[in-house]
Amino acid sequence: MRWFKSQKHSHSGSKTDPAKPAGIPLPEEEQIVALSTELASNETKLRDTFRGCSDINFRPISGNPSVLLLYTDGLIDSKTLDQAVLMPILYHAAPASPSAAPISCQIIQEQLVAIAQLQTVTTINDVMEGVLKANIALLVDGENQAVIADLKGFEKRAVEEPAAEVSVRGPRDGFTENLRINTGLIRRRLRSPKLKMESLTIGQLTQTDVVITYIEGVVSNTILEEVRNRISRIQIDGVLESGFIEEFIEDVTWSPFPQIQNTERPDIVCASLLEGKVAIIVDNTPFALIVPMTFWIGLQAVEDYYERSIYTTFVRFIRYSLFNIALLLPSLYVALSTFHQQLIPMNLLISIANSREGVPFPTFVETLLMEFMFEGLREAGIRMPKAVGSAVSIVGALVIGQAAVQAGIVSAPVVIIVATTGIASFAIPRYNFGTAYRLLRFPLLILSGVLGLYGIIGGLFLMIIHLLGLRSFGVPYMSPVVPQIPLSLKDVFIRAPRWSMNQRPALFSGGNKTRIPKGQQPSPNKGEANDE
Amino acid sequence: MNRIWRTLCVMLSLLLITGCWDSSEVNDLAIELAWGIDKAPNKKIMISAQVINPSKISGGQGDGAGGGGEGKPYFVVAGDGMNTLDAVKRIQAKLSRQVFRGHRRVIVIGEAMARQGIKDVLDTYTRDPNLKLRTDLFVVKGSTAKDLLKVSYPLENIPGLGVLGEYNQVGTSAEMGFLHFLLSATSEGTSPYLPSVSIGMNPPPQDGGLRDKSDIEGFRIAGPGIFNKELKLVGFLSVEEGRAMRWISGKLKEIEVSAKLPQEAGNVSMDLYKLGQKIEPIAQGGNLHIHVTLTGKGAIRENNTPLDLTNPDHITLLENTLNKQVEEHALRTITKVQQKYGTDVFGFSDVIRRKNLPLWKSIREDWEAVFREADISVNTKLTVRRIGITGPSLHLNPNEIKK
Repeated sequence: MRWFKSQKHSHSGSKTDPAKPAGIPLPEEEQIVALSTELASNETKLRDTFRGCSDINFRPISGNPSVLLLYTDGLIDSKTLDQAVLMPILYHAAPASPSAAPISCQIIQEQLVAIAQLQTVTTINDVMEGVLKANIALLVDGENQAVIADLKGFEKRAVEEPAAEVSVRGPRDGFTENLRINTGLIRRRLRSPKLKMESLTIGQLTQTDVVITYIEGVVSNTILEEVRNRISRIQIDGVLESGFIEEFIEDVTWSPFPQIQNTERPDIVCASLLEGKVAIIVDNTPFALIVPMTFWIGLQAVEDYYERSIYTTFVRFIRYSLFNIALLLPSLYVALSTFHQQLIPMNLLISIANSREGVPFPTFVETLLMEFMFEGLREAGIRMPKAVGSAVSIVGALVIGQAAVQAGIVSAPVVIIVATTGIASFAIPRYNFGTAYRLLRFPLLILSGVLGLYGIIGGLFLMIIHLLGLRSFGVPYMSPVVPQIPLSLKDVFIRAPRWSMNQRPALFSGGNKTRIPKGQQPSPNKGEANDE
Repeated sequence: MNRIWRTLCVMLSLLLITGCWDSSEVNDLAIELAWGIDKAPNKKIMISAQVINPSKISGGQGDGAGGGGEGKPYFVVAGDGMNTLDAVKRIQAKLSRQVFRGHRRVIVIGEAMARQGIKDVLDTYTRDPNLKLRTDLFVVKGSTAKDLLKVSYPLENIPGLGVLGEYNQVGTSAEMGFLHFLLSATSEGTSPYLPSVSIGMNPPPQDGGLRDKSDIEGFRIAGPGIFNKELKLVGFLSVEEGRAMRWISGKLKEIEVSAKLPQEAGNVSMDLYKLGQKIEPIAQGGNLHIHVTLTGKGAIRENNTPLDLTNPDHITLLENTLNKQVEEHALRTITKVQQKYGTDVFGFSDVIRRKNLPLWKSIREDWEAVFREADISVNTKLTVRRIGITGPSLHLNPNEIKK
């Protein structure tokens, strides 16, 4: 733990250091240049900036006065550009209509361009930024301002069911790579002005849009402030995925446990927002981040809240036992069969002894090998093209499962143990939380191979000490179990019926904590609906 | 930071240097499930162990890997020494794998050894942390422990387990034998007893004829062996007497009782469970009275009489007959122990000490004599809870049935 702590200190120390270390290849801050009244001079500057950018189109329109249209090919909707921008301006500028007033930014805005989002800017930098963010820019000769119109029209993936978080019951839409579609999916579910979406841009080169979203009055202001602070401290050349941001804002890097939840599902984001959490949505990735995260969230699936509570409670108990199996089964097997044979039931011991006859490796090495192979199989399976994917499972099942046992290279119990562990680890609903257990299995296995049960207990102690010290944005990771918050326990080991979960989680919601007024337990002779 | 890394590396290597010192693979163990103690010449003891040969146990991987399947899945090794560990040392010299005693279920003691006394050989079984207390001790009636361990048993792969199974079927909770033995051995007045086994499924014919070959296979539970306070075997009871004795001392779980009905010319059998017993010592003048009450609830399983059991009067009749039968049997057992052995295997002394400490203090000096002289009466209260699924026997003609 001391090791972790000191890591944390040195980490945060360098973060808050205001002096940027020398040698970081970030572009120097560009100077802000105001637009001049001369179109030619503006055009020269812009052409100079965009030299070598074949996808930036300059479309001069001669007229009275002449206009320069600037846009990025591929980012904008060129059909709409033709109809809603180009055609009106061309007609207006055409000599056939001399009666028309000379073109100005005001006329463009008020009469010519049929686009909802318009904006006037006065610097070259804003023009550049606008053009790069799928806007068109219109510069008019004789004016030191330009009109920027939003005309996004790039290719995007449709809203599909998220591949990593499947549910039997529940909405099937998932986030896409487009930030605005994603915020739209959230807004569609939370039609309240209290849902706030703060926009900011991160990444000197990628200029990625990031949205911090929360529900005002429900969110805890300290957590929100912490999120804002941590995100604003990020200095990076590019953000390609929300993972880039996650690594900058998580509490402890050297922990196997994820302290920030990620999801592809808008319903999970909305449910978290309703609990008072903060979500961070990053452009160009379907994965949104949700903070703070606790240990128990890693073991909850989205369907827990859609299915009936009694079934969910049952499933949770299964899940909790499976996750213990995923963590402990291989190391328990090694510890028991090499150190504490007394603890194995006699008949089981005899059959283990029987199957171990002639196996060349010690149990520990055997288990480690098989675990290693299993992880390899899984890794291979993920990256394989779908057409080849089935080959992996055939090779895995036949070669490792059967042939190795028949050849007497590994014993059957180890194969069973590794397979059971594998199945159990697939039952952990959140993928990145499951990885923590895949990771921890190996140190525990080594400890058990060296020290037996003492090693396992020692390893578990270290793990629990670490978990108890872990915090996610100021919220203890093990809450609401440690520290215990009895009201919030309704959603940890059991899942209480919806009408009885009256309070928002105490630790990470601020303001109004009441979710559901009391006394809504359904019963047949309640209310007037029954009187008809 | 650097220091922390260094400390961590040192600690990790420490872990790996010291580790593994007592680890042992399952296939490097000679697992023994049954253990025999015999008398050997020159005041030595002979230890024999029934060791499992895992590759010969069918149904496992060993079969496919080659060679297995034929031959017995166990073998017996023996060695003598001045005490148990000394003998184990000799046994180890004959085994390629380490003797693993952690799963021992059965300890059998040869009759000769038992008669000589087992006080000197029991210490290691409670001292060694690797051994479990959940062991059953048996006396081999009329033979040595080594011979018993060599006998094969048709139902079980490992014959040692057959002993346990048989004992369990007789109506006693298995795996408590050693514990009960220790408890009564340390008690002030009670004498321990141990169940016994003898080789062969059937006893040898009374006329001295040759035993059937199949009779030599297997073994059977014989009546318990009675020990005195010196932990020397003094004699055996019969199986039936053994049951009565365990009932009186409260260690019987279930029993079947059969009785002849004198008036009706027929017999009934009753399956008893929920057995109970109550012992009341009464000091009358200089004489000790012990009043034993046996209770039991159960179901009628066989009714070879014309009685219709749906009639409560008939049930009362059955209960009375069975009560009388059990009473007589129990009393006979007690009297036999009193007169023949004079050792209190029923645990009367513990009850007296619990219920009437002054009385116990006055008699404990010569408890054996008091026990021999004690006036013991038995009263039985059996309750029929179920009569099975018919009232009268179905094969009887209606006019044969006594309503």
